[in-house]
Amino acid sequence: MSLAIVDAREWQRMFDLRTGARVEGDNPLLRMVMEIQARRPYPGDLDDAGNRWVTDTALDLVAGYDPSFVFLTYARQFFIGRYSVLSGREWGEMVTSVFDEVSRFVALSGFTPVIVGTGGMMPFVDFIDVTHLHGLVLSTHWSARYSGLHDGSNRDLELLASLPEIERVVHRDEFRRLFSDCSGDDSRIPEYLLVARPGYMFRTVGGAFRKVRRVPAPAHSIPLHIGLRLGAAASITDVRALVSGHVRERKIALIVVEGLGVDDFPWPHLECRNGRDWFYYEPGDAQYLTLATGRHQVFEYPAGYKYFKEDAEKKEYPLSGYFTSVPQDTLVSGLGVRSIAVGNRSMLMHMVPGADISLECFARNLFNQGTMAVVRRMDKF
Amino acid sequence: MQCTYCEWRCDLSDGRLGVCRMYIEEGGSIRERFPYRWSSCIPSRVESVPFYHAWPGSRCLVIGTAGCNFRCRYCSNSFVAKQDPATIQDGMIELTPEELIRKARQLGCHSIVFNVNEPAMSLPSLEVVAGEARAAGLPMGCLTNAYATEESTELLGSIFSFFNVGLKGLSDDFNREYIGIPSAAPVLRNIRRLASLGHVEVTTPVIEAANDGELGEIARFIADVNPEIPWHVFRLLPEDEMKEARYPNIDAIAGALEEIRAFLPNVYFHNFVGSDWVNTLCPDCGTTVIERFSLGCGGDRLHSYNGQGNRCPSCGRQIRIHGEKVAWNAGEEKP
Ligand code: SF4
Repeated sequence: MSLAIVDAREWQRMFDLRTGARVEGDNPLLRMVMEIQARRPYPGDLDDAGNRWVTDTALDLVAGYDPSFVFLTYARQFFIGRYSVLSGREWGEMVTSVFDEVSRFVALSGFTPVIVGTGGMMPFVDFIDVTHLHGLVLSTHWSARYSGLHDGSNRDLELLASLPEIERVVHRDEFRRLFSDCSGDDSRIPEYLLVARPGYMFRTVGGAFRKVRRVPAPAHSIPLHIGLRLGAAASITDVRALVSGHVRERKIALIVVEGLGVDDFPWPHLECRNGRDWFYYEPGDAQYLTLATGRHQVFEYPAGYKYFKEDAEKKEYPLSGYFTSVPQDTLVSGLGVRSIAVGNRSMLMHMVPGADISLECFARNLFNQGTMAVVRRMDKF
Repeated sequence: MQCTYCEWRCDLSDGRLGVCRMYIEEGGSIRERFPYRWSSCIPSRVESVPFYHAWPGSRCLVIGTAGCNFRCRYCSNSFVAKQDPATIQDGMIELTPEELIRKARQLGCHSIVFNVNEPAMSLPSLEVVAGEARAAGLPMGCLTNAYATEESTELLGSIFSFFNVGLKGLSDDFNREYIGIPSAAPVLRNIRRLASLGHVEVTTPVIEAANDGELGEIARFIADVNPEIPWHVFRLLPEDEMKEARYPNIDAIAGALEEIRAFLPNVYFHNFVGSDWVNTLCPDCGTTVIERFSLGCGGDRLHSYNGQGNRCPSCGRQIRIHGEKVAWNAGEEKP
């Protein structure tokens, strides 16, 4: 059983991650994790200390658990960049500050870093208003470039084809063909995937209202910094093998830095393919799952699907958002080494890499609810 | 000319804007500045709003507009409620009432719930939406601060059938300092009236060292209106001007609420992940009739409904529920 420990500041509770049922547990490993949670309250997605929290928490877990593999995510600059007006100088300072945190972790832990930027950001240009179509258009996972059209009419399709802000309208069969070598349940894919031109974002029902200032920039390639000449990776799908091929001989930290692309990544890097043909990943679960599994993950929770249909009572994994199961065969499966994941991107930390222990912020729509640790393995301690 | 939608009764003569900046005077009448413009239009679990005793398990379309007549220092929706409404119109969704109803149906929603800001800011639009919703068989509910005038309260009662009223505190000092209104007297008056017109739940955010001392008095007021009214005590998430404030201590508040349960049985304590105080217990025999799971703000969900109809499965006592249990995907089957 995987245990989820919620810390809502001065108050902790333990749950079965799958069912959400309250459980009790007490052993040195759980106590160590709970003490770190109590000592490290999450400052908030937009707070100056949001990225420092990642480094501090990860260093505490490294000291307490002695892992060989660490998965980290630094996301504060992505949230700030999305919602704030920033000058070039301010953005530059933000990039410097996140890499100060990365450097601090690497220096104090001694881990060899493999660092991935999820793609850059660009100024928001305008909305594409698709709320008046006959069909239903949905955007999910903070996506700007992609949305899904359900039950569209011929008139809807004619209208969409005439909009210059739309790059393409892709029928689900065409999308399946593009990734025909990828397995997985493709039943969630919307009838049509709508693809916006750079800078645009779909105005849909179901979107959360906050004024967006920047959106993900085109990212056919993303930056990849590989410490100590571990090798190379031509595609995002190669990163898993690169890490798992070396993790038994040296301690490796796979570090995801959100909102940074090949143009503003400050350290030496390779350019790594971030998708296929016209499709590239925006920061989010599909990109993370692809990194962690080494396989394209475009079918699992696709952009614009009807996520809410699966939210019925007794849904499993109630603390894991739209995830309905634990992803299988991920980065650390079968490696046999101790692993941890820490980040300020909710949900993805405990669901994506499959680490023994994960510790993440519990934030929804930037509202800070505290932290959640998930302990999957206690037998290695 | 005076606006009579809420108790500020602002003078809107000569192009003046009121506290909420949502109405203007034109040709001798008061009209909305931004009709049919929605800041939110999103499917949600009704428990997340929160409504714990109305249409349990159902999916609602949450809508909101802009502007507010309160100035709560801890507002969690300040990016909509506290902004000058004119400056955020470019982010709004413009949908006619017919389109809104159509979206509700496409999203498989059973009801429409006005949330985010105060419905009194958009009453003319909501009146028209209510007409369309009624024709489509979609009930309407809202969160309200109940600072409406008596006339507007009647209008709210004709638009909505279920309400969650924010009763933030009782003392004038608290209301002046934290909410920006001179007194809670109109709110108390309107809670009584709304409870006679429809289904009412009440929500009180607790702010440590500000209104936590009033919990007993607030509970006694609610019990005096009707002891079966569900009361949601919210652990305040310090936001906006109160970002640096302490998070209220959960165990201390929970201890205080245990005594209150004796005379106000449907008391809940949430707005934090994993709360233990979100289940509905039968007031007579203590059986768990409705189990929920709380994910903190905007994330509560029905876990299981154990009632037989609206009765306790053990002793048969009637549980106060507005409507009935609705399957989450019931609306998906509708055309
Ligand atoms: S509704 Fe707005 S304009 Fe009218 S009285 Fe209230 S605050 Fe003033």
